[in-house]
Order: sequence, then structure tokens, then C-alpha cells
Amino acid sequence: MSLPPERGGSPAASAAAGGPPAVDSGVYTASAATSAHGGAASTFGSQPAVTVEGLGRRFGDLIAVDSLTFSVAQGEFFALLGPNGAGKTTTIHMLTTLLEPTSGRASVMGYDVAREPQRVRQVLGMVFQDPALDERLTARENLELHAVLYGIPPRERRQAIEQALVWASLVEAADRRVRTFSGGMKRRLELARALVHSPGVLFLDEPTLGLDPQGRRHLWERIDALRREGLTVLMTTHNLPEAEACDRVGIIDAGRLVEIGPPGELVAKHAGEGGDLEDVFIALTGKQLRDEEATARDLMVSFAKRGGEHTR
Amino acid sequence: MTAQAATGRTHAKAPPSWAGIAPSVVWVMWRREMLRYARDRSQLFGGLSRTVLWLVILGFGLGAALRQIEGYTYAQYILPGVIVLNVLFAALQCAISLVWDRQVGIMREVLVSPAPMLSVALGKLLGGATVSVIQGSIPLLFTPLIGVRLTVWSVLGAWAVMFFLGLFMTALGVIIASQLRTFEGFGSISNGVIQPLYFLSGSIFPLRGVIGGVGFLEIPQHLREELRRLGIFAIGGGWVVQLPTWIQVLVYVNPVSYQLDLLRYVLLRFQQLPMAADLAVTFGAAPVAVVFAAWAMRRMAANGR
Repeated sequence: MSLPPERGGSPAASAAAGGPPAVDSGVYTASAATSAHGGAASTFGSQPAVTVEGLGRRFGDLIAVDSLTFSVAQGEFFALLGPNGAGKTTTIHMLTTLLEPTSGRASVMGYDVAREPQRVRQVLGMVFQDPALDERLTARENLELHAVLYGIPPRERRQAIEQALVWASLVEAADRRVRTFSGGMKRRLELARALVHSPGVLFLDEPTLGLDPQGRRHLWERIDALRREGLTVLMTTHNLPEAEACDRVGIIDAGRLVEIGPPGELVAKHAGEGGDLEDVFIALTGKQLRDEEATARDLMVSFAKRGGEHTR
Repeated sequence: MTAQAATGRTHAKAPPSWAGIAPSVVWVMWRREMLRYARDRSQLFGGLSRTVLWLVILGFGLGAALRQIEGYTYAQYILPGVIVLNVLFAALQCAISLVWDRQVGIMREVLVSPAPMLSVALGKLLGGATVSVIQGSIPLLFTPLIGVRLTVWSVLGAWAVMFFLGLFMTALGVIIASQLRTFEGFGSISNGVIQPLYFLSGSIFPLRGVIGGVGFLEIPQHLREELRRLGIFAIGGGWVVQLPTWIQVLVYVNPVSYQLDLLRYVLLRFQQLPMAADLAVTFGAAPVAVVFAAWAMRRMAANGR
């Protein structure tokens, strides 16, 4: 892993090394939080990172998400698995305050998404399904923008940005416009950017979608490294190996949570010997997971999202 | 030490702000607009080509037929109008990028951040206003060609009017853009907004006045004074023209007419509308539009798009 060495160190170690105290190591990723996680578990660990109770969202008559209930523990690596249009992205958008739920409640790090959206925004990191970068700006400028939006003090900005560039292996490309980047580079930049403000929970919406196998592997190595550091991650995917690598998987179909549990258990329960999550999915929903083509329902959902018949 | 400090977890704070305005966010969003403008040569090219077409080609071409409007050559008369045209394009282009940003760009990143939306909106609008001033200054470079003499004060005054016009138009554009989901309507929007505002502002024809050449038809002094009482300032001679009433009404309800009139006064010392109305619209409409634009962007944030 191309992690900067100091990131593995505890706040105490970096303080002893003469660096600025805890603030400094905490600014970048959750690594510092992780190193102190053991000690904090008694106070923080009892509270789930994400709690979802009866969460639902309608677009007109269409129910995109129907009464979801689940929770994600701190330090857990959780995946929502389901075909296109199952409601995964809508769920993530509600959890990240982009979309108001029409029913139920959800909280992130103890903050209610509807009542304390400002708090929620401070504690989450987000990587969208499609790049959310300014392509006319350079990688460094995109990171600067992020650092300012998240209130990182000017003195710490520079270092936070340098660390992010190193972590994303984009030091040489730092002053190139993002327009010239490959899909994999953009994703690495977005992932590094989402960590700049040391979020409590990282939301990844189909993080490896559209990447070539090599880009996919590189990105996954980085995501995996975050997991080993104990960062809480909630991702959506319809990629089986990715889902199988998670601590727990929530299988979602047509806006409903069909089953939830560790991948191994789900396979043992629903698919039996030699099966995989795909078999679990077929057993539970009678459908193939890998249905790349948009269904009529997808088209309806995206049409309704764009404003229904008023779209022009 | 708080529990957070003990874990070393320093979550982002909301950017420091006073009265809902975070200067750092305003600055970073403004700077983004500047960087985007600096890297888009096509906008500068568009401003230049518009200036050459309208001011030089139309100005001298139509000027050959019209000779003079109220003692000014036609090219001189339309100079403020060409500046306004450049400002309208610059401001709307800046505003319309919001649609793009929301679909595939940086806007979603901004929406999930704790940055206050009012500051984000302000940064964008001020950026649009600044680009407007730069684009609007292109025709000023052509003033020696058309015989308009600039002073430090007339340039500063013109910049002030351009800035407020740019702010107003960017805000108006943001309000429109916040209602758009796709780019499909972009062509009709830019044509449907820019052209009426431009043509119905007295930019290329006067509300009323004397058109023709000096010596073409000498106006006797008593008639000249009578005309002045009607609000028609006849410096040279020629035909007295007055627009049809329905066009006049449209010109009077168009806010750009007043902004343009003030700009024309600043650059040419020639005015067709009451000064008080010019000042009130130019400096009053922009802040109102900014409030509505910020509100539109906030609402957009709440709707999750």
C-alpha cells in the first residue's frame, strides 16, 4: 500500500515525533481514529454508525425505497447489494442528506438526517456513482475546494491535500486538469477527497462501476486498506466479489430489504455448499442479479426522479 | 480534552461563517468561476467576435444609412448595447453551468458538504459578475475606433454598472437553471432570454429621438426647445422618431433598459430615461435577484438535485 507512513502511527506517536498534535493526524483519514478505536470502543462502539428505521422514499406514486430497517456498526464494512433500480442509490442519497425521506428515520453517527442535516454532512464522506469533480480544475484545485467546503483551517489545508495526493498516487498528475484523467484516476481522486476531512462513515455508491479490471483492482486495494484501518464503510454494489468481501451484506430488491447478514451465512442459509451470493439472490428474489439492462422500472424511477412528465 | 480529541477524530466543522456567510466558501467558489473562465478560451473569442460583428460591422454598416442618432454616430450609440450583450452572454453562461454541475459535476459534492448554500450561491454569483465585467470590457478596447473618449471615471462607472448588471443576470440565470433538468432547453433559453432583453432595451434603436445627419434638416431653435420639453434632445437635425406604444411599454418594463441607459449615460453622457429610475433598477434589482437566486439554490439542495 502506498500509504504515508505517519498515517499508521497513533496520535501519541506523531506528537512524540514533534509533529503537531492529534489534530494533524486526524485531519486526513480515520486512521488516527482507528488507532485509538480500541480505547474508544466503550464509548463510541455501542452506538451504531448508521441507523435506518422504516426509511422510505416515494417519487409521486412510485415507491423507490420501501421501509428499510438496518444498522451499520462502527468499523463495519457493509454493502447494499441489488440490481439496478433496486433503490440503493436513493437510500444512499437519503443517508447523505441529498434527498429527504418521505417516511421513517435515519441517523448517521447519531445525527438525524432530516433534523440535523448539517451535522450529518460534517461526519460523512461520499463518493458518487458518477464523478462529481470539476473537470476544468486540476486535481489539487478540486481538493482545495473540498478542504474549504469542509472548513479545514488554512494552515492544515496544504498538508491535507498533499497527503490525499500521495494516498491516491496522483502526485505527478496533481496539476493536470481532471478532464485528462482516466476513470480510475478520477475515482482514486474522489476516494482520497472523501477522506480529507476524516469522516466517521464513508459512503460509496458503486465505487468500481465502469472501471477496467486493473482500475477496479487498484481502487479495491485502497478501499480494502481503509477497511483494515477500521473505517466504517457503507457501499452499494452489484459486483459479487466486492459484496462477498464485506462484513455484512443487505440484499435489496424493488426497494425492499430482502435479507441481511454476513455473506458466508447467507450463502450457507440460502444457497448451500458451493453456492455464492448470486445463488442467494436468485433463491430470494427469483431473479438474476447481473441484469445490466435497465428494466421498465428503472426507466420509471429515473423518469420520476427527473421530474416526471414535467421533465423537459 | 473532549472525547473526539481523545480519539483523534476531528470531523469537519462547518466553514467559519458570520451571519450565514462563510467568506472562505464565497472566495473558493468565486475563484472556481475565475479558473473556469480563464481556461475557456471560447468565451473570450465569443466576446471578441460579438464585438466585431455588432460594434464594427453593424455599427459602421447601419451607421452609413442612419448617420446619427441624437448627434452620436450609430457605432457610438450602440456601444453600451454591445457591452450589455457581452454581459448577458457571460452571466447566463456562468449560470447555466449549474445544470451541468448538478448532473455530472461538482454540485453534488457541494450539496453533501457542510458549506452553507448562501455562501456557495454568493461565490457563484460574484464570479458571474466578475466574468461579466471582463467580457463587457472587450468593447471598450474598440472605443478609439469609433471615436469615444474614455476617462478613468467613465471606465470605473461602466465597470460598476457592468458588475451590477452581471450580478443581476447571473442571479436570473441561476433561478432559471435551478428549474432545468437537462441541457435540452439551453438553446431556447439563451435565445428566449438574451434576445428580448437585448432588443427591447433601447440598445440598437432609441426610444425616441432624432435620427439623421447634421445639416440634413436643420431644426429651428424654438422647435428644438419644444422637443426638449417632450424629452427629445435634438442636437443635430433629421427625422424625429418615436417607437410604437406597445414596443415602448415593453422597453419600459425591461429592467435591462434602465441598466443600459445608465451605462450609456456613463460612457456617452446621453440618457433617455429618468436618472432616478436608472439608479434604482441598476443597484436595487441585483440584490433582490441575488436573494431569490440563493433561495432557488437552497431549494435545489433540499430537493436533492
